[in-house]
This record gives sequence, C-alpha cells and structure tokens, in this order.
Amino acid sequence: MRGTLSERMGAALLMAPLLLFLALAYAWPFLGVVKWSFTLPTPGLGQYHALLTDDLVQSVFIRTLRIAAIVTVVSVTAAYAITIVWVRGSPAQRVIAEFCILVPFWISVLTRAFGWVALLSNRGLINTWLQSIGFISEPLTLVRNEFGVIVGMSHFLIPFAVFPLASAMRSLDERVLLAARGLGSSRMRTFWTVFVPMTRSGIIGSAMIVFVFSLGFFVTPAILGGGRSVMIAELIYLRIFQSPDWGLGAAISVVLVVFIGALMAVLFRYVKPKELV
Amino acid sequence: MTNETKKQSIQSLSERAQRGEISRRQFAQLAGLVLAGTPMLLRSTGAFAETKGLVLVNWGGDAITAYDAAYGQAFTKDTGIPVKMDGSGPTEGAIAAQFKSGAPTWDLVDVDPFSAITLGGQGMLEPIDYKVVDKTKMRPGFGWEFAASTYFFSYVIAYDSQKFGSNAPTGMADFFDVKKFPGKRSLYKWGVSSWEAALLADGVAPASLYPLDLKRAHDKIAAFKENVVSYWGGGAESQSVLLNGEASMAIVWSTRASLIEQDSGGQIKFIWDQGLISPGALAVLKNNPGGKDAAMKFIASAQDPQKQLIMFDKLGQGPANPATDALIPADKKRINPVDPANMTKQIPLDMDWYAKNYGAALDEYTKIISA
Repeated sequence: MRGTLSERMGAALLMAPLLLFLALAYAWPFLGVVKWSFTLPTPGLGQYHALLTDDLVQSVFIRTLRIAAIVTVVSVTAAYAITIVWVRGSPAQRVIAEFCILVPFWISVLTRAFGWVALLSNRGLINTWLQSIGFISEPLTLVRNEFGVIVGMSHFLIPFAVFPLASAMRSLDERVLLAARGLGSSRMRTFWTVFVPMTRSGIIGSAMIVFVFSLGFFVTPAILGGGRSVMIAELIYLRIFQSPDWGLGAAISVVLVVFIGALMAVLFRYVKPKELV
Repeated sequence: MTNETKKQSIQSLSERAQRGEISRRQFAQLAGLVLAGTPMLLRSTGAFAETKGLVLVNWGGDAITAYDAAYGQAFTKDTGIPVKMDGSGPTEGAIAAQFKSGAPTWDLVDVDPFSAITLGGQGMLEPIDYKVVDKTKMRPGFGWEFAASTYFFSYVIAYDSQKFGSNAPTGMADFFDVKKFPGKRSLYKWGVSSWEAALLADGVAPASLYPLDLKRAHDKIAAFKENVVSYWGGGAESQSVLLNGEASMAIVWSTRASLIEQDSGGQIKFIWDQGLISPGALAVLKNNPGGKDAAMKFIASAQDPQKQLIMFDKLGQGPANPATDALIPADKKRINPVDPANMTKQIPLDMDWYAKNYGAALDEYTKIISA
C-alpha cells in the first residue's frame, strides 16, 4: 500500500466502523456456524467426512462451480462491451449506457427473476414471438433449467462487472493507443494487443467479483431452476430448514467461505483493492 | 424493547394504517415514537407483560388474513389476548432454531404433524393438553401427542382439460403416462406425495403403500424425470406452472387446485381419485413466550365449526372438526377434501412413517431430481 503514514491512519480510521460492524454482525455469528460444523450432531470431523462421501453435495458443488464459471465469462464479456460504450462513447451513448447499468440496481432480484420467467416461459414473450413468425413449432425450454439460471444470474451480475472494468479503462494512458495507431497498427490489433492487456487488472477484478457472487446465489436459481437444488446455497437452505441437519449445512457453509476466502486472497495478489472501484 | 418487538409494533401499525384504522400521518408519528422513543417505551414493559399476546406462525400469503379473520380476531375478542399472524413458514429447521435460541418469539406453529412428532420427541414442543383441547372435536386418529389437527388438505392431480380432449386422468398411473396424456408434469419439491404417486402408478395397492418402497419409487421418478418441467416449492408456483401452460398435469395442494380451476375458468380441472390426504396441525413451542395455557386455549377455540367454516371458505381447508361438514353448502361440498364422498377416493399420508423416514427420503429424492 502506498501513501504516507498519516494517510494510512486516516484510511484505517474511516474503515474502522465498517470492520467493527462486520466483526459483530458477521464474523462473530459465523464462528457459531463453524462450531456447529464440528459439534452437530456429535463432536468431531464427522460432517466434513460426510461432505467427502456425499454425492449430492459433490454434484451440486461441481455444478455451482460450472455455472459460476459460465456466468463469469458471459457477464464479463457483456460488461466489457457496455463499459467501452460507457467510458469511451459519445455523450449520448454514455447516458444510455449509464442508464442500462444503473436501472437494474433499482429493481429487486425477485422481480427480475420473475421477469425472466415471464419472458422465457412456454407462453412467454420469446416463445410466442418465435412461434408466430413460424421459426419454431414447439416452444423452446428456456427456463426452469440451467439455461434460465445462467441468463438470470448474468443479467443480475453484469452491472457489478462494469465498475472494475470502467476503473481500468479510465486510468489507461490514452497516448499509448494513439502511439499504436500512429505506428500503423489496425484498430482490431490495437484493441487486442494494447487495449485489452492494459485493462487486465479490471478483467481479473470483475471476473473475481462475479465468480464469488455467483457461488452464493440463492433466489435466482431457486426461481429459474425449476425447483431442482441447482446451487450450493439452496442445498445449505435444505440442510438448515427442510431436513434439518445443521452440522452438515454448517460444514458446507464453512467450506464455501474458506473457498471464497482463498479466491479473494488470490485476487488481491494480482489486483489492488483500489483498482476495483 | 427488543428489535423484534419493535419490528412487530411497526408491522401492526402499518397493518392498521392499511386498513384505514389510523391515518398515514398518524402511522408516521406512531412509528417514529416506536423507533425514537425506545427509552420511554422501555418503562412500560411491565404493563405490556400482563397482556402478552400470542404469535401464530403459518405459511404466509392469504393464510395470514384468513387465520386472523377466522381465529385471531375472535380469540382476542373473547380473551383479550392479541394474536399476531406471522407468515414466515415454520419449517422443521426454523422451529428448531426458535427453540435453540433459548428465547423463542413464536407461540403456535402451523406444522406438519410428522415434524411435530420429530420435534416433540426432541423436547422442543409442548404436549397438547387434551383437557383443554377436545379430542372428540377431531376426526379419529388425527390428534397427536404434540400436535392437534386443525385442517386437512390433499395432494391431488390437476390437469389442463384442453390438452387431453375428452380424456380425463383417473389416478396416478395416468399421471405417469405421457403417451395417453401428453405434456409436461410438475411435482412437489419436498417429496411428500411424489413417492406415493410413483408407487401407486407402479401398481402398488393403496392399502400396502406404507412402509414406502423408496427404492422402487425413486427408480420410477428417475425414469420419468425428463417429463417434469418443474418441482414447485410453494402454492403460487404450482398455480402458475399450470396457468402458464408449462405443465399439462401437476400434483398440487387441493386448496390451490380449486383456485386454479376458478382462475382458469374451469379449463384446469382436478380429481380426488388417489389424492393423498394430509392433516395440518397446530403445535405449541416449548416455553413459548405467550404462555402454554393461552396457546392451548387458542387451539381449543380453533375447534369451533363456525370458525373452521370461515377457513374452508377462505382457503379451501378441509375442516378438522367433523361437525363442520354439515355447515358446508351443497354446491361447495365438491371441493371439501374430507367430504365423505371425496374422502373414500383418497389415501391418508402415514405421519408415523414420515416422522421416522422423511429426512433420509428427502435427501435421496433431492439427489435424484437435481442430478
């Protein structure tokens, strides 16, 4: 971290209330969850051993990782295009891009999920439209499956992917791009060999944010996934509320938090927190 | 004044504002008082303690207003004890969490009797006081140690009549027959009824259904999976999947089936044949804040046929007290799950089997439908 001692002290003081809040409202109760994972129903490592042998937990965990990876690629790619328009477009384009980025933030996650059901279902807008122009005869299954989950999650996460990218694009040195063009590089080549590499930290940052967010998704997959326990957060819900096995639910939570913690550690090795906003 | 009670005061204020009992402006003033004037209210907790109310937790939606209209308001009028309805859903885990917190805020829960058997066995529920609650006002076999039946519903087949021409399904075998009855299906996410349906379709006789042959049921469900468009987790989902035409047939709660029939103008029909009848019950949390006696009195008050008739009208719940049957008008008898004519077509779920086996069975079911 750069900056003088007093600057660093100031930053620490400003952060203190947030850290205290997180410690009390999040870290402290979470220790209780950690305790459950080692003590319920009987003390020991039984629940962690069960995790290794439970094929439901494993299949859901693998699917969660796969969906998170796909959503990350889709969201970051889409966000990259939007961010270019937002940061480098004409004033009118910027306003439109900003509108598209901010409006989703104001709509609840539930509303958006049900919106996608309305759009994608058998008698939804897209299927009726495709059928009326004669493109398909039977409705496509676009929702209540993994496809629907990926669409809904990507839509939710694109705005989150925009900010680190925008930060990277705003801070890059315009003259380097001019120099590349001046030396005869084509627009495509300038983009791929100069522009994209210079936004690398933004890409890593936004990919990490989207990926970590995706791992904990609950409502969107519950609504768009057709009731199958598609992702790990739903499985935790099942274990805590529906067929109570708090020990196993807690153990899954602990594994998830440790996994996300490790990912964040990797992230901060490559990207400074400052570059993410 | 804890945050929970603060929240509840604000909620009840906002409900009163909505009903127009107090103006919006008054609401804002009173809400401000609750939030800002905490120290002042703290002093009056002693006065509050004497008229401590009951909190009844059910599954939300229309149930909140219906429970209030049928049971809550009348109980408050008779006893002076306020009853607050909370729709947050008393799942087995949520009740356990309430109990283990050491200071439960719930009194009465609308619980699956098999959950009550399990939770009661773990000492989390008060035994029902059958000196206060009248067992003769229940159908025989539906009063348990830790829960008293308060209504009935059934898992029934609802189908889109337009998709099958003059054909109509007559039982679970038809539900699993997509050749004769084309289209997608929807099943319950939490397993109950899906196992029975699969076994009945596979030729098991209703009388020898229990103990369920889970292996056989799961094989049947696994083989049928591609025909299932969704596994609904709540009543609203089951309604929309049929009304949107995503499924041509679904196993849904009978309480919802009659609503779907209404909403679709009769296009979506339902049958009682091989319906799986299930009791709903009230249970009392151990060491409930409003006191055991008040809670038992509430359950007893809910046995009144007139009140159960209101629940039937509002939610389609089959009455727990057989004396209510006679009060139901002839044209409505058709949608009463426990009407003698309907009852004979259905099979009751075995609560004792569920108490012993539900957790493990649901795990296996989730594995199969999610794979």
